[in-house]
Amino acid sequence: MFIDMHVHPAFFEPINNDPETENMRHSALNIHKNGTAPLQHIFNQMKCAGLDRLCLLPEDYTAQLGKPVVTNEEIKILVNSAPDKFIGFASIDPYGDNATEKLEYAFAELGLKGLKLHPARQHFYPYDEKLRPIYEICIKYNKPVIFHSGLSWEPDSYAKYARPIEFEEVVARYPKLRICLAHFGWPWVQETAMLMLKYPNVYADTALLYFDSAYEFYKKVFQQDIPATWIDRSLRHQIMFGSNNPRFEQIRMADAVSKLGFRDSTLELIKGKNALEFLQCDELTS
Amino acid sequence: MVILKLLTLLTEKYNQFIRITDEIYKAIQDSNIKDGIVNVITKHTTTGIAVNESLECLESDIEDFLSRLVPEDWPYAHARMLHDYGSTAGNPTGHLKAHITGNHCHLVISDGKIVKGDAQDIFFCEFDGPAQRTILIQIIGE
Repeated sequence: MFIDMHVHPAFFEPINNDPETENMRHSALNIHKNGTAPLQHIFNQMKCAGLDRLCLLPEDYTAQLGKPVVTNEEIKILVNSAPDKFIGFASIDPYGDNATEKLEYAFAELGLKGLKLHPARQHFYPYDEKLRPIYEICIKYNKPVIFHSGLSWEPDSYAKYARPIEFEEVVARYPKLRICLAHFGWPWVQETAMLMLKYPNVYADTALLYFDSAYEFYKKVFQQDIPATWIDRSLRHQIMFGSNNPRFEQIRMADAVSKLGFRDSTLELIKGKNALEFLQCDELTS
Repeated sequence: MVILKLLTLLTEKYNQFIRITDEIYKAIQDSNIKDGIVNVITKHTTTGIAVNESLECLESDIEDFLSRLVPEDWPYAHARMLHDYGSTAGNPTGHLKAHITGNHCHLVISDGKIVKGDAQDIFFCEFDGPAQRTILIQIIGE
């Protein structure tokens, strides 16, 4: 099973019914000129990339924008429209009202499979005490957290909150909490590798493409900044494929990850097995 | 009289040739224009419009030819983050193939029909699919 663990469905057609919402999403995410995508187009894209499943990530920036960019309920609508293709995550704004209640509802009632948080955009340090009840709910429901880490292209976002080293206290103090440092914490990819080496509950995804073509950038990061041997020998159980579509190039990234010279068994882990372990979701493994 | 129609396609492959001759015929019939010209123009910069023979072997040769001219693995400058889009430019090959193919064709309409050679068909050429695409069909005449 080939899973893209990092897809933002903000421009999927079924949840874009009015121009005002669509415009808000363009400016909130700083993604432009892309239009909305009918689901059939998404499925065509998945077929071209060889992908079986997409993990859909919403964004709740209520404290800044007054409402979520994409709601947990909209994620549920999309998952219901293609349950064999979509895995839905929740988002909450730690500074918004009723954040813990919203998260419990997202897990218990909406059946969402994990939580996405964006420290750089939501302006919190990962070990801020405000986050602790949120992590405890994730542990209670056995749900993982995907954190944005490293550079963010979104407006009003600051990388200082999302530098990989800032996550160490969280992963050390919550060993039962599975976390993913999205975008491999770029440009601090060696800090991410350091955390993954020490803490088995730290995962990272491959949703990074900030310079050059997908293959060129992956070669730079996964063969030079981090030698391929580090991944193939030591970190192979903790890396998941992610594209950050629509900002990055899902099809070309899916192709590029296969050309980096990893062992076939490592590639299988990166493409899907690690995601299944991260999600620990019976529906996906049965 | 000038009639403008839009044809929308959902392409399914990275590179794909889609025969649209019948759709152009239908647009002309619906317009009731008997004598004039039809302009077929794609709205996109990584697609093309071509007139050629509809044969599987030729479509394969054209695709191979363009891929040799514009290989995927090449150090293109158009491979970087674009501020206007907030996303990565990863489709230089699509732009270059579209540049070679051209974005339009013109055909003559006489007695309500396209005047063309028996071997000629009109193709929409996708070079950065899958995608949702729009083609303009402008019919000018009387």
